[in-house]
Amino acid sequence: MSLTIALSKGRLLTGAEALFSKGGLPFPPLDTRQLIVEVGGLRFLFVKDMDVPVYVEHGVADLGVCGSDVFQETGSDVLVPLDLGYGRCRMVLAAPTSSGFAESWPTTLRVATKYANVARVYFEARGLAAEIVKLQGSVEIAPGLGLADCIVDMVETGRTLRENGLEVVDEITTTSARLVVNRASDHIKRAEVAALLFKLRHGKDGASS
Amino acid sequence: MPTRLQLPQGASCFSFDEARARRALEAQVVSTFEGWGYDEIVPPLFDDAATFDPSLASKLYTFTGREGTTLALRPDFTSLVAKIAAGRLRHVEAPLRLYYSGEVVRYEPPRAGRQSEFHQMGLEFLGGGGPVADIEVMAIAIECLEAVGVTDFVIALGHAGVVTSLLDEAGFPVEDSRRKVVVKSLSRRDPRAVADALAGVGGSELARLALVGLAEDDGIRLSLDQARTALGGIERARAALDDLEAVTNALEDAGLGGRVALDLSESRGLDYYTGLVFRIYGAGLGFDVGGGGRYDSLLGRLGRPMPAIGFMLGLDRLALLVERQLGGGSGEAAPATPVAGETLGRSLQRARDLRSSGRRIRFGGVA
Repeated sequence: MSLTIALSKGRLLTGAEALFSKGGLPFPPLDTRQLIVEVGGLRFLFVKDMDVPVYVEHGVADLGVCGSDVFQETGSDVLVPLDLGYGRCRMVLAAPTSSGFAESWPTTLRVATKYANVARVYFEARGLAAEIVKLQGSVEIAPGLGLADCIVDMVETGRTLRENGLEVVDEITTTSARLVVNRASDHIKRAEVAALLFKLRHGKDGASS
Repeated sequence: MPTRLQLPQGASCFSFDEARARRALEAQVVSTFEGWGYDEIVPPLFDDAATFDPSLASKLYTFTGREGTTLALRPDFTSLVAKIAAGRLRHVEAPLRLYYSGEVVRYEPPRAGRQSEFHQMGLEFLGGGGPVADIEVMAIAIECLEAVGVTDFVIALGHAGVVTSLLDEAGFPVEDSRRKVVVKSLSRRDPRAVADALAGVGGSELARLALVGLAEDDGIRLSLDQARTALGGIERARAALDDLEAVTNALEDAGLGGRVALDLSESRGLDYYTGLVFRIYGAGLGFDVGGGGRYDSLLGRLGRPMPAIGFMLGLDRLALLVERQLGGGSGEAAPATPVAGETLGRSLQRARDLRSSGRRIRFGGVA
């Protein structure tokens, strides 16, 4: 029985490669155009970042690497046993700098975001009715164009926010790259899963020292 | 003509070979239940909404009865069977070994392996206490999978008493909402989230460390010996581990040791579990095909205190698992013999002859 691992070709890929190679594990070449690659007894799938936990939840992949923002948004029923310790970001609520939003939130508001579920949970917990405008990207321009009052998005440095006249109003959560594991694979392929986790943990600890 | 031909999202529908394969599977499972001396119970399709476990409240399909009471379509069988045992069947002497097979409905957002309407086949051993009943139910679960030809499967075994006693020792009051956060994080096996949820709780350091340890990949989660060393100081946790050991020892003695794997992080979420809990996983299916557990306090709340344990298999998931492990084609019909004669009467006579010999026919009338 060999393992299938879902990856996305986004910002977390090079960090994953570093961890896998530090743990002595095979990894597909970064420039491959193939979407399914077998290397060194492991099978890798390249899928969209939001789809990584979906493949894992269905058991099509045994494991995957994705940001914690991704499985929070998809709500996938997967195991998340290992924080890979890189790709740290903040999920924030941001609004136009001089809008006075931070001082007094409107009681009904429109939020532009790629993370509709995260945003809904966040506002519901605060008793606010928010209209969610779901976008696929470039959400930073939405308030300036009148599409929304604020945004919920991931920020790494905050530069994109500043350059688009936005400021952080609240930090919703911090996120990082996580290993996600299918519930059935965790038992059915216990030895393989345990060996892979051991090597990745070893690679991670080696990386931080 | 209806304006909308598609069925509502989450509704299930099967036909032809698929429906036939499901019937065959159901028959094999039911015959296993019968073989272990269980009797069928056919509970109502709906009952007072209050009958069902509160953790399912947000998933109920409810409607208003003639008298203005709120009714709900059954979201599971256990609470319903327990209520009937405490009420209508109260004069039947315990233990009661009951099985059921039928549809349940739950409002579920579309997810892997989840429909709103699905078929559960399960049993409840009411009055069955201790490891002897635990072992019986585990053995039946194993035999059901073997009976339908599934060879590659594992039963992940835990004990609600481990997690519950650790939560108590960690200093959470019984109704503390943070308990649920810990249980959920534990179920996702997220050590960091467990540690975060435990921050600021004043109880035993040992219990807090053990809870985080249970979320980790190996160690006390998977080994009775390691769990004993770490949790032995907590009496109720030790009692839970003794229960588990009795069950795993008996299964090993019977040559079934390879069928079970310990997973002490497993507590199955539902509040009514008090002892052994398990989920069944099969190779090729990414989610559990069924599961069960001990619920010793539910019948007491209904006025007929007795221990109880039950388990169920999802027919839809089992069908998928069988297809993945054995390939398709199991629902193929026997070939049908076309029947036609010179007159309708002749034709009918021939049809009845063939039928009496058990043949599948296709009636054609006059040739």
